[in-house]
Parts: sequence; structure tokens; C-alpha cells
Amino acid sequence: MDYDPMAMDDAESLGPVVKISQADSVRVKFELQNADISFANSLRRVMLAEIPTIAIDLVEIESNSSVLADEFIAHRLGLIPLNAEGVEHLLYSRDCDCEEYCENCSVKLTLHAKCTGYENMSVSARDLVPIGERINQSLGTPVINDKDGTGPLILKLRPEQEIKLECIAKKGIAKEHAKWAPSAAIGFEYDPHNKLRHLDLWYEKDPKSEWPPSEYAKWEEPPVEGEPFDFDAVPNHFYYNVETAGNLPPDGIVTEGIKVIQQKLAGLIHELTEGEGEGGYDGPRSPDYNSGPDTGYGYSTSYGGNGGNQSAWGGGGGTTPFGGQTSYGGGGWS
Amino acid sequence: MAARPDSEDIAMDDAPTSHQPEVKDDTMVDDAGEDVEEEEDYEEEEEEEEEEVQRVKLLPGSTETAASFEFSNEGHTLGNALRYVIMRNPEVEFCAYAIPHPSEAKMNVRIQTFEGTTAIEALEKGLRDIQELCDVVTDKFVAAADDFEKKKAAAA
Repeated sequence: MDYDPMAMDDAESLGPVVKISQADSVRVKFELQNADISFANSLRRVMLAEIPTIAIDLVEIESNSSVLADEFIAHRLGLIPLNAEGVEHLLYSRDCDCEEYCENCSVKLTLHAKCTGYENMSVSARDLVPIGERINQSLGTPVINDKDGTGPLILKLRPEQEIKLECIAKKGIAKEHAKWAPSAAIGFEYDPHNKLRHLDLWYEKDPKSEWPPSEYAKWEEPPVEGEPFDFDAVPNHFYYNVETAGNLPPDGIVTEGIKVIQQKLAGLIHELTEGEGEGGYDGPRSPDYNSGPDTGYGYSTSYGGNGGNQSAWGGGGGTTPFGGQTSYGGGGWS
Repeated sequence: MAARPDSEDIAMDDAPTSHQPEVKDDTMVDDAGEDVEEEEDYEEEEEEEEEEVQRVKLLPGSTETAASFEFSNEGHTLGNALRYVIMRNPEVEFCAYAIPHPSEAKMNVRIQTFEGTTAIEALEKGLRDIQELCDVVTDKFVAAADDFEKKKAAAA
């Protein structure tokens, strides 16, 4: 087990490189080099779906005489981006000791608006007022970035209509509901010249003239006419465009994303090493786990191969039955 | 047409919730013991107890050097990166991952190693390698962001 994962013979030996080409308050564009596509994709997936943020999750409607149905408004409220600064100090409601929610696991916001004039009135995110104790003064505040300073429109009221409600914002991740997504969009691309042929570009006469070049096309060497296809080439430059919904700063999404991966890994390592300490996985096992008729379920066939049965791999019960490549899936791989 | 009297279909009530066979008690002797301890700790909070489930399980039929692991609540995000990094370990003969069914939040990893190491060690090493990679990428990203800010400030 003694090897340096970074000291291998390919581009990864150089170690990952990050280059930022654009960064402002809404987006960060960067390039990741010398990493494998599997890691690059993990980062993309985690930034999309697994970074904790805060969003309205419970709505108690006291009065609603607007034309919109209660549940319709509740759904709209859920989708309003709330500032997630310091959300790491907020507990998940399911992990909290409280009955339903409390200031340790939620932020309360109220909305009370009545149209008293003669013209229709707009109720927007600005009118949502955080109340009660908060971890810090920005957590749970609606994100307002438009030039009018109103934030997203929630609903409109005719004269004499009224809306009064209380919202409970909770911590969550976008895997559960997209309202917790920190990113408005994540651009991810590699190989702008399609040298690797991962894309099969549709065309009428000529794909080159019909498909506009990617903005990253000038970052990489264009293919030479008549160049033979490189079968060993792997994608090595990944271009991200992380755009925030306003709840986290764009560079924060990237660093938080990596943090989420690390927490995932740390949790698993902890579980593995703890199990080992107690003799967990290495403990004695009933012998019929390798040969009993009840283990002959077809699970292992999903690995292809013509073995189709567990005995192809594990039958020896301790001795290594697989001396060479031939012992499994000879038909599957060359 | 009359229904076949000897239909082989399983009634819905009898069908297993997972196509994976239920783990027998004696596979996880130690873990069963763990559960008992936890029950004692959380006697009053039985609802929370369910969440304290194992996230990695060793599937039956595994040996020291050839093992299948089942991860709960993990998917391609971890699976593919883990598969790649474990496969880079020269002591690993084979590593692959699969998500047996898209509506079950489970991910399986198969690891087969050469004599020098065990599958569990290879898995742990894989996890640590990704962690290390994450550290490096964070450092590089933060450095690049600082650099970018400095250049922007200098240009302004």
C-alpha cells in the first residue's frame, strides 16, 4: 500500500491546477487541470445537489384573501433564495433536540401585507421579515440583488386583499428539494474541440461550420487536419462556470462543495476504522457465506463476466481462487 | 383466461423490499451488539435510532482480498471517484461500482486486491486518497482566487 497517487506516469503526476478566468459576485469561471473526470464530475454533482443551504420549508398561513391558493404561495415562498451565510452552524431540524423547530435549527420569517390603496400592490421578498433569534444577522434574510431592491415577486394584491403568514426556514440540501440548491447553474465542459469524440455532433452538411465554437476552444490546441485519433487520450482540462442563486458567494460554493465531499469521506473512514477496531469486518463469518445455497442469488451477475455466480470469486473461502485474469469474466474484457 | 393456479409471482406483501438478500444476524455479529448498546443509550428517543444505520456494509460472499461493499445513501458522486482512485492503487487487481437500482439509494463497490493488502484496506486508502486530493484542490482554488483578486485590484 505504499505508493504516491500523484506520482504516476500521466498528467496527474503534475498535481491538480486551478485557473480562474472570471470571478464576480454572481459567478466564478475556472479551469481544473490534471484531475480525473471522475473527480471533476463528483465536484460538479456535489455543488449542484449536496451543499447545505437554507430555504422556507413550513408556512403557516393566518389569512390569505389574495387570488392565489395557499399552497401555491407556500411553494413560491420555498423557492425564494435566502442568505445562507453561517448555515454550517445551523442544525438540521431532524438532528435537533426540539419538538418541531427552534432557533437552533430554523429561522422564522413573517409576511404581512394589505393593499390599502386603490391600485394593485406587489408583495415581494423584501416584505419577508426575519424575526426572533438568529445565529447571525444575515442567515435567512431574503437575497435581494435586483436594482429596484425588491427581490423576487411573491404575489400581487388587489385593493382590500390581505396576506398574513409565518414561514419557517430550515436547513437542507438540493438532493431533497431543488429549493436548497446554492447554484443557479453550473456550466461544466471539457474537450471543446471534441478531439476525444465523446460527442456525436448532429449536422446537416458540416458540423464545423454549424456548431459555434465553445468559448474555451481558444484555450486548447485545435485538432490538426488528418491527425490520427489518439486512443490513449483522456480528458484533462475541465471548465466550470458556477453561478450562484445569491445564497452563497460563488467561490464559497466551490469550497463548500469540496468540503461536503471531504465530510462524506471522513464519515465513511470513521465508520470503517471504528469497525476494524472492534474486529468488525474481519470477524469470523459463518462458512456457508461462501458456499451455502441461499447465497446463490443472482446479484454478482451484474458485474458481467461468465462466472455469474459468487463462487467464481469467493468460493475458495480465504485462499485466492483468482490467480490470473482468467478466473473472472474472460469473455467480458480483452 | 383463468389465472394460473401455480403462479410463481410473489404476492406484494411477501416481496422483499430490496432485491439484496437480507443480511443474516451472524454476518454482523459485532454490529448487532452495537445496535443493542445504542438502544440502551437512546431508550427514550426511539425515532432517532433508525437514523444511526451503518453506511457501509460488507456483502456476503466476501473474502479478505475480494470484497463487495454496499454504501447507503451514496451514488455516482462518490462511486465513480472512489472506483477510479482505488483502481489507481497498484495493489488492487479490480475495482468497479454499480448502482443496482436507481430508486434504491444504494451503491455497491467491488474490490479485488493482490496478496499484499486487503479489500478493506484498499477501500480505506481510496477514501483517504480522495480526501488528500480534495485538500490539494481546495488549496489551489483558494490560491487562484486570491491571485485573481490581487490582479483585479492591481488593474483597477
